[in-house]
Amino acid sequence: MQFAGARDFLVAYSRNKGALVGLLYLIGLLLAALFAGYIFSVNPNTPYLSRTLLPPSLAYPFGTDYLGRDLLELIIYGARTSLTVAFGAGVLLALIGTVSGLVAGYFGGEVDGFIMRTADIFLTLPTLPLILLVAALAGPSLVNILLIIALTSWPVMARIVRSNVLAMANQEFILVERVMGASVKRILFDHLLPNQMSLILVYTSLSIPIVILTEAAIEFLGLAPISISWGFLLNIALSYWIQGAWWMSFFPGFAIFSTSLAFYLISEGLKEVLTPKLKRKRESLAVQLAGKK
Amino acid sequence: MGLASYVVKRIVVAIALVVLVATINFVIVHLTPGGPTTVLLTNPRITPPQRAQILASYGLDKPLYTQYVLYIVGMFSGNWGVSYFYLEPAYYVIAQRVGNTLLLMVPSLILTIIVGILLGIMSARKPFSHFDRFVSSAAFFFYAMPAFWLGFCLLTVFALDLRMLPAGGMTSIAGGGSITDLLSHLALPLVTLVLVNLANFSLLTRTSMIDVLDQNYITTARGKGLSDRLIFYRHALRNALLPTVTMTGLFVGFLLTGAILTESVFSWPGLGLLTFQSILNRDYPVILSLFFIFSVMIIASNLATDIIYGFLDPRVSFG
Repeated sequence: MQFAGARDFLVAYSRNKGALVGLLYLIGLLLAALFAGYIFSVNPNTPYLSRTLLPPSLAYPFGTDYLGRDLLELIIYGARTSLTVAFGAGVLLALIGTVSGLVAGYFGGEVDGFIMRTADIFLTLPTLPLILLVAALAGPSLVNILLIIALTSWPVMARIVRSNVLAMANQEFILVERVMGASVKRILFDHLLPNQMSLILVYTSLSIPIVILTEAAIEFLGLAPISISWGFLLNIALSYWIQGAWWMSFFPGFAIFSTSLAFYLISEGLKEVLTPKLKRKRESLAVQLAGKK
Repeated sequence: MGLASYVVKRIVVAIALVVLVATINFVIVHLTPGGPTTVLLTNPRITPPQRAQILASYGLDKPLYTQYVLYIVGMFSGNWGVSYFYLEPAYYVIAQRVGNTLLLMVPSLILTIIVGILLGIMSARKPFSHFDRFVSSAAFFFYAMPAFWLGFCLLTVFALDLRMLPAGGMTSIAGGGSITDLLSHLALPLVTLVLVNLANFSLLTRTSMIDVLDQNYITTARGKGLSDRLIFYRHALRNALLPTVTMTGLFVGFLLTGAILTESVFSWPGLGLLTFQSILNRDYPVILSLFFIFSVMIIASNLATDIIYGFLDPRVSFG
């Protein structure tokens, strides 16, 4: 679908109230994470032993933890971890999935067979245990976690792009280009790719909640602890739960939940605007997504 | 090609796939920095002769390809090595916990499917009604939730505040192994798993039901003057459930690996908790054996799905 401009797109997108709320929430979170240094103290890790384990109050809306750190502050700083992994792994899995899907769909034959069999094998790996193991072995680093998640979640994207390319490869404008001697690069990236962009965008936004939940799971289990991340805050809360410090687990978990929900709402909105014809097909995306959560 | 030869061919491919996936598991474990021998090689308190002796006793002194061959043969023959941590055969360590995982997974699988399909059907009867909107939103709501956090919240309310249910584990000493004791421990992890996964089945059933009701043969059935009930439950439902079969196959692997999180929160002594602890302890024989079991289960359920699908959908020809 073509839009005269960004304004038309926003108007169409905003018709879905849920999608609008999701987008505004995400923008708010992004800004807060970016400017956290101006809003709060520069080092959220500084302990204040005079104010440990305070329940939520006006001064500390989310309460304080066992070191007296302000949970609101920790959660805003933690958004940096989650959003970096979310966008980083999202972009990377979209890139790997798109290129392999394009190449497989366009060249067909043995190339196609090789790429798609590789994708099938990735889909039968016990993904979550493997991710946890590699994260534990490779050590706590944002880049490691991001890479591991992206490398195990591209196959579904590759399948979707491939089936779309197959449907397009024999259309007349592509045949004309071929007869006219256009280079493979030109056909792939100037003609086939732009026609996939809507689908890629929708699918990427649909995969990001799964990325967020996976990253949170790694951190929650404490196998590769990144000190200021929502999942690891939940991990720490395990030790204080029995003392009744419910806020230490409630708010970090709520941050994970609300951010992943925001991305679902955004993907829902993008889907309605960008791929109206796909309405029927959409649950087939959901089928392919199952098992990847 | 007939059904029998199709099934045989698929089983052969599935076995080859198991070998391949087992190989990938082996490679990942041995190539990642921090692999099996690192702990031994970097501990300064272990003298070189001790190190050699330990390596030899676990077969880690052999060249990697010999280890690989022994590993593959071992996996298929049930000889899974000795756990570094429990100092018992890995097979034994795992066998003790398989039942516990099944006790949690089988009921949650059945409940998720039944409740999901029922909600999907009820939503599809009147699409975009208040009921439909409510069910779809609620399903999405729980789908976006981290299972471990939902578990946490349920524990806080029902175990800590209301003191109605136990805070984890599978049995309590006071309960003395009675059925009610077991059920009270099972309740929260079961509810968590069902709620988080419900959307997979309810949304899928809803959409495929609405899709099917839109097709020509349903219009034909309407034209014949058949009742709405008959069309809905006899003609449409059967076909609408086909995608659910595929989903079930994918779901088995997903539930199995997802058990790590739920079992960890509720200290449920199953394979998921064992996976987590073994990674923490770097207990490689147990890790590799668990990965082998997970891979076999995933591949077997995919295979079963394909074959069952062929029986259910007459349009699929075996070939």
